[in-house]
Amino acid sequence: MGEIRFDDVGRIYGDRNGGFEALKGVNLAIADKEFMAVVGPSGCGKTTCLRFVAGFDRPTSGTVSVDGVRVASPGPDRAVVFQQFALMPWKTVRENIELGLRNKRLPRPERAERIERILALMNLTAYADAFPHQLSGGMQQRVSIARAYVLDPEVLLMDEPFGALDAQTRVVMQEELVRLARRNPRTVMFITHAVEEAVYLADRVAIMARQPGRVKEIVDIRTIREAERWDDHEKIEDVMDLESFVHLRTQIWRSLREEKAMEIA
Amino acid sequence: MSRKTMVGGATIVTALALWYLATSVTQMISPGRFPSPADTWDAFRQITGAGYANGLLLDHVLRSVMLVSFGFLVAVCTGVPLGLWMGWSRRAEALINPVFLIIRPIPPLAWIPLAILWLGLGDAAKILVIWFAAFVPSVINAYTGVRNLDRTLVEAARMLGTPLLTFVREVLLPGASPMIFTGLRLSLQASWTTLVAAELVGAMTGLGRVLNAAQQDLYPGMILVGMIAVTLCGWLMTAALGMAERRALSWNIATQARD
Repeated sequence: MGEIRFDDVGRIYGDRNGGFEALKGVNLAIADKEFMAVVGPSGCGKTTCLRFVAGFDRPTSGTVSVDGVRVASPGPDRAVVFQQFALMPWKTVRENIELGLRNKRLPRPERAERIERILALMNLTAYADAFPHQLSGGMQQRVSIARAYVLDPEVLLMDEPFGALDAQTRVVMQEELVRLARRNPRTVMFITHAVEEAVYLADRVAIMARQPGRVKEIVDIRTIREAERWDDHEKIEDVMDLESFVHLRTQIWRSLREEKAMEIA
Repeated sequence: MSRKTMVGGATIVTALALWYLATSVTQMISPGRFPSPADTWDAFRQITGAGYANGLLLDHVLRSVMLVSFGFLVAVCTGVPLGLWMGWSRRAEALINPVFLIIRPIPPLAWIPLAILWLGLGDAAKILVIWFAAFVPSVINAYTGVRNLDRTLVEAARMLGTPLLTFVREVLLPGASPMIFTGLRLSLQASWTTLVAAELVGAMTGLGRVLNAAQQDLYPGMILVGMIAVTLCGWLMTAALGMAERRALSWNIATQARD
């Protein structure tokens, strides 16, 4: 199980009278094993929403809950993949991945087995004893994803995980994440401002608006993806060429652009 | 040998030659004010052979090194945990910082009279003064190290469900360790400065005692021997600390080299 719910969530910074209202009336339900991408202009509070689920931050009104339980603090049932990787630079790849398993007090043989499996899955076996600084950005983010996945979490929270990577690496990582997510589905909340990325990866895309931040529209991708059999294509560019993909992408772009137009007006 | 070491070596050789010229050859500087290389060598022979100021050079060196090491260790073992705690807990900071701000500007040497009053002229007073001197940089740098710790690393550790003890040992301490080592280096320097000053005031043996006795005997050669010995001891201990630092922080050096 891993159902995420936002019920009338608001966040005000500063004091209650003259404070800045960053989020207002956010309602969102992410079903168990659903991949939800959240897109929106910068400053719409999408990262703040993710931080609520992670337990790093708390809303000033409304509730954020996972499986009906209000989120109180961070925990390994809600693994986070950070944009800046957040690997311990003094730990090797293996030690970084192992920390969460050790915290769970798993016996050593089981830890070793799980680590070997995830290293193989993420193409990291050869780098198990390297330090993060010896790896490229893409490799470091793989370690960060492995560190999250190895915990076998109910919920996976990804905050622009590919935002710091170069374009080619990003494409490879997106393809790998699709394979991983389809083979081993988890409830995923994926923050991004790249519309293509959202459409390619997600089951549904939530579009956020700003001032105050709120969920404006939710677009279903999965029905069309399955009807048009996107997953038969191995390469991202083949999927991105499909008419159905282009159509959805344009729809989301329009919705985002309306926001921009309103801002300018 | 690199160009830099060659230039450095040449500078030292030149300085030694000038020293020899100014004292022994031309007598521009009178032997009563600054010793010639020969005077210094004689003084060295005396203190290593017959001894001076209650002991051989080795006795003085061992005594001073022991006191510095002990005072330094006490300061580090108390200062670093306190700094870590103040950096981590706002409450601890609010509680301790005011006291710290009052004590901090007091020059460590100003504690010497009080320390002697409390503990007499023995080792305990010296260790106390070293502790006062070396404590402050240890605390401040450990504190800064925690404050500068990458917030997302702390969040990552919390997300991974890291228990407190593991967190301190595997995240807080290594994360703050570059700054902690900076603090240790400053603490070590402060320890030597303070020890020599404390021994000048009163001691049976020790390098400060050698300096004090040589000054009273109007013996410039011995003063210089004492100064050189203090310098070498301080330098060797700093070098040992540097080696420990390079071992402990190999990840950090490589990370910075990459940036």
